[in-house]
Amino acid sequence: MDISERTVGVGAGAAQTGDAVSAKDMATEDMVLNIGPQHPSTHGVLRLRLRLDGEQIVSAEPIVGYMHRGAEKLFEVRDYRQIVVLANRHDWLSAFANELGVVLAVERMLGMEVPERATWARTLLAELNRVLNHLMFLGSYPLEMGAITPIFYAFTEREYLQAVMEEVSGGRMHYMFNRVGGLKEELPAGWTGRARATVAEVRHGMVRVEEIIHGNEIFRARTRGVGVLTREQILQYGVSGPIARASGVDFDLRRDEPYLAYGELGDVLRVVTRTEGDCHARFSCLLDQVAVSLNLADACLDRLEALPPGPINQRLPKVLKAPEGHVYQWTENPLGLNGYFLVSRGEKTPWRMKLRSASFNNVQVLKELLPGNLVADMIAILGSMFFVVGDIDK
Amino acid sequence: MSNHEAVKRVPGAGLAKGLAVTFRTLLRRSVTAQYPEVKPALPARSRGAIALLEENCTSCMLCARECPDWCIYIDSHKETLPAPEGGRERARNVLDRFAIDFSLCMYCGICIEVCPFDALFWTPEFEYAEYDIRDLLHEKDRLREWMWTVPPPPENDPSGAVPKEITTAERTAGPLTPGAGGDRDGGSEGGAGE
Repeated sequence: MDISERTVGVGAGAAQTGDAVSAKDMATEDMVLNIGPQHPSTHGVLRLRLRLDGEQIVSAEPIVGYMHRGAEKLFEVRDYRQIVVLANRHDWLSAFANELGVVLAVERMLGMEVPERATWARTLLAELNRVLNHLMFLGSYPLEMGAITPIFYAFTEREYLQAVMEEVSGGRMHYMFNRVGGLKEELPAGWTGRARATVAEVRHGMVRVEEIIHGNEIFRARTRGVGVLTREQILQYGVSGPIARASGVDFDLRRDEPYLAYGELGDVLRVVTRTEGDCHARFSCLLDQVAVSLNLADACLDRLEALPPGPINQRLPKVLKAPEGHVYQWTENPLGLNGYFLVSRGEKTPWRMKLRSASFNNVQVLKELLPGNLVADMIAILGSMFFVVGDIDK
Repeated sequence: MSNHEAVKRVPGAGLAKGLAVTFRTLLRRSVTAQYPEVKPALPARSRGAIALLEENCTSCMLCARECPDWCIYIDSHKETLPAPEGGRERARNVLDRFAIDFSLCMYCGICIEVCPFDALFWTPEFEYAEYDIRDLLHEKDRLREWMWTVPPPPENDPSGAVPKEITTAERTAGPLTPGAGGDRDGGSEGGAGE
């Protein structure tokens, strides 16, 4: 991509250069520009320290930690039910997927078999959660680029889905619906029918989002060829999720290391990839993943209705203790790989629980991605990295 | 670089398309809920506030202990009931204070889950914002008031396991009426009266 740049003013640096004639010879100092921690174009409190040469970014450094809440340390003094409360809060847009990792880890340590209905219901809810997460970014990304309408469309669809999630779990964002051994409660009667209707509704609504933004020439002009991530950078920085797949890294845990019921959904599960690796590819990856997730949700609903009657959770002992040992459980969260490394010494709280969150790794690559770009493109790049600050700072 | 994409477009086609969307939306009914005038219809499981059925509480402290952020405060004292004829004295707990600090509460519902005596319930009510954060500490009379807004739980999915409340009730009282959840093949429109 070629960058056109015009110097329209001469800053304070010019005064020191004395009798220098052309702007090219001027020894100007780079300007340090802080984006955030409070800035309208950042999400939450991510701070970027940019060095600018005119409009061009020379170096960029993401400074994280403004929202550090010590989640990992708190895990150590909470039992396995209380951890679920905390775990669904680091990435507040994918609360269900976050809970899931914790309970899957504990179940693996216990060697616990989860009832089949619970597995399918979990898969269904995880996919609905993925749609909710992606809709948020599909709405907010165009908003950062100046298109206001898509966020209203996205939020309309989100609202329908949140109503479905609230009916089953009682929460709109922090579902708190996973338990070791299954789900907290049985699904309400008639819920599967309403969920199916909502999935159809959202699928219909996605056409509007796609139509208005995806083909838009202004949107294309601002995102095509901007912020290209290479496959090597992805692998070096451990970038994962839709961002990695937009650069052609064809890796999705749902297919490559199936957990829950994904192993049986192979014919519905299509891993969306792009090769361009630019902002537009990342956005369209997200858009296509919504369609795949809605198909998966429908497949789960079909299976749930066909399954023989049975429980949705397991009776647990009063005091739940994970046996001594350690386990690493990773899941394909909406934003990328989310892993929990659980070390237990046989007590009712973990001895250590390391959290590998997707956004933390994904924003590190900004250091390589931003230099060379213009400040105006930084907004486009930053928005297309699809991160949640809580997930970075934990 | 992507020449195959550059199909000759009419200038301003995107603008016209955008305006067409605006026009179509103009003709469509709005989906916005007129909140303060129209109250949202919330599902029964909605986690709005925690209600306390004081009569059921034995001040066993389980909820206060299990709360992940310790926002439940319980004070109680022991009271000795005089011995009935031929019996002996009995001690019983009297609840002096039960308070939930909703400014700390994470709305996880663990207290309700662990309560062995069904003294705590969720209510979908949510309009209790305060100007002073200290007023979010609800004492037991205020928590008792929430009890009137607690909805009955929704019926379970018919393919789920029979809830243990129903199996225990059936063990003592015999088969329940169809529709109450105990009858699996009967229609659910039957009298779920009790």
